Amino acid sequence: MKKPRMGRFAFGLAVIAVPLALALLGPALAGDPGPRTASFTVGEGHWLGTDFVGRDVWLQVLHGGRPVVLTALAATTLAYLVALPVGLVSALTHRRWLEELLMRPLDVLLAVPSLLLILLAATVFSPGVAGLALLVALVNVPDAARLVRAAAAEAAARPAVEALRMQGETWWRMAVGYVGRSILRPLAADAGTRLTGVLYLVATAAFLGVGVAPDAADWAVMVDRNRTGLFVQPWAVVVPALLIVALTMGTNLLFDAALAGDRRSGRPRGTERPETTETLRNRAGSEARP
Amino acid sequence: MTALRSFVARRLLLGVVQTVAVVLLVFTLTEALPGDAAVALAGDDPDPARIAAIREAMHLDRPAWERLGDWAMGLLHGDLGTSLASGRPVSQYIADGFGPTLLLAALTVAVLVPVGFGLGVLAARHEGRLVDRLISSVTLAVYAVPEFALGVLLVTVFALQLGWLPPTAVGFGTDLLGHPAALMLPVLVLLSRPVCSLARLMRAGMIDALASPYVSQARRYGVTGARIRYAHALPNALAPATQQLARTIDWLLSGVIVVEALYVIPGLGTVLLNAVAERDVPVVQGLAVVFGVLTVALNLGADLVAHRLAPRAGVAA
Repeated sequence: MKKPRMGRFAFGLAVIAVPLALALLGPALAGDPGPRTASFTVGEGHWLGTDFVGRDVWLQVLHGGRPVVLTALAATTLAYLVALPVGLVSALTHRRWLEELLMRPLDVLLAVPSLLLILLAATVFSPGVAGLALLVALVNVPDAARLVRAAAAEAAARPAVEALRMQGETWWRMAVGYVGRSILRPLAADAGTRLTGVLYLVATAAFLGVGVAPDAADWAVMVDRNRTGLFVQPWAVVVPALLIVALTMGTNLLFDAALAGDRRSGRPRGTERPETTETLRNRAGSEARP
Repeated sequence: MTALRSFVARRLLLGVVQTVAVVLLVFTLTEALPGDAAVALAGDDPDPARIAAIREAMHLDRPAWERLGDWAMGLLHGDLGTSLASGRPVSQYIADGFGPTLLLAALTVAVLVPVGFGLGVLAARHEGRLVDRLISSVTLAVYAVPEFALGVLLVTVFALQLGWLPPTAVGFGTDLLGHPAALMLPVLVLLSRPVCSLARLMRAGMIDALASPYVSQARRYGVTGARIRYAHALPNALAPATQQLARTIDWLLSGVIVVEALYVIPGLGTVLLNAVAERDVPVVQGLAVVFGVLTVALNLGADLVAHRLAPRAGVAA
């Protein structure tokens, strides 16, 4: 079992290497933008031609990865910053009303399609990059909080927590020191799938023009804006599209390979620990979205 | 029986609460703006006449709760409001865009169900072998890819390089059924993510079910393999997959918006994007309520069906 897993890990790494390197190092490698020339030309001193306003496509590609990756990372972090305390508190509290107060509003948010929520917000105010990160984080909070609570509730029901409580340990020590530490593995598995979903949402929102300037150097925006010249200058569309495909695919493959084995333990459908998965199934119910 | 009834009652109640919440959420997100909403909605170049018109049309001089009450009463009577941009009723916008979107969604679901379930069962049957590894890896990889990136790449290959299919649906209007070639790429792109998630879930469910004690017991009794697979394991594996099917509606919706933009199909997604671009709040609100309520209803239906398929599984309410 060890060998195919390493193979998959290496494959995921290979797929993500190019887009990630471009996203992280691209802006440093890109030189002087140079003068604008005619739109949608091929060749003529531009390795990948020019885009819809006559900028060099290769330079745009070098600059365009960073916003996608950084926005996605920021949104994922923000989502957990809210979801972790909410999930931990509602799993550890003995006050039923507090749990209901924290979790029920989130059930309601789950009912609204994510992209619809983002578009609704985009109708009334024009979110910048920070606004887009906030919106994407917001639509991810309900599901993340639900998962944290399901995993933490299982850990909180263990005798060890009861012992800590009887010893008069502080709430902090129980919640963070014991329960928080024991949910790290399901949390890591969830973070992988969540980052993939967030990348999807960030890129799709940017493609639809939410949270980005109309001429921004961003792979998703490049695909959208250069589509009109697809038949004249396909490189301006194909290269950023391929990079987005590689980035999202690679993220998913990499996390799946890295977390193979315990990926499902945090989900209600696990098999390896029957007595705990039964609790998880009851707590998380069917609403945890894979 | 009482347990079933109380589950159904609780789930229905949750559905009602969610519907009310969707309406409230749509209203607060779009209208409870800080400052003067009319100025914000008039756009980057505010024209005093337009501000006044928006204020008048949206009754912004009245308190928010009164406007919410009026709007909600209108919704109850099937009145979704009037467009700020054109003065036409929102229901007319929805009627215009409904056909193409329904066609896309129906075609996608019609292909999605057999292909998704089929791939999942096939992979589970050959667990660990080449077929399974192939299906598992491909679904895992494609599952993460945004529709627009996949869509333009498919256009580049099939329309630009090979010239087999038209690049967009421009020129076909709403008569898409008469031009099946123009529908190929949109449906293919729409299918990409839901098929993967459904197949993966179905595979996991089948493998779980086939490893369960009742299947071992049936094997000991000498029940045939096919019968065990399709009469015993399949219904239990179907329950979570049915719920996932409803949850992919969320994706199908974002997919429809992207695919309609990409292939220039005049459906509800295009109507929504145009309204967002024009800041036509009533149209966006109306569409959001329709989409939101549809999602709530589909999830409700799926939970009830899943409960019927596997009553002992604690379906959340």
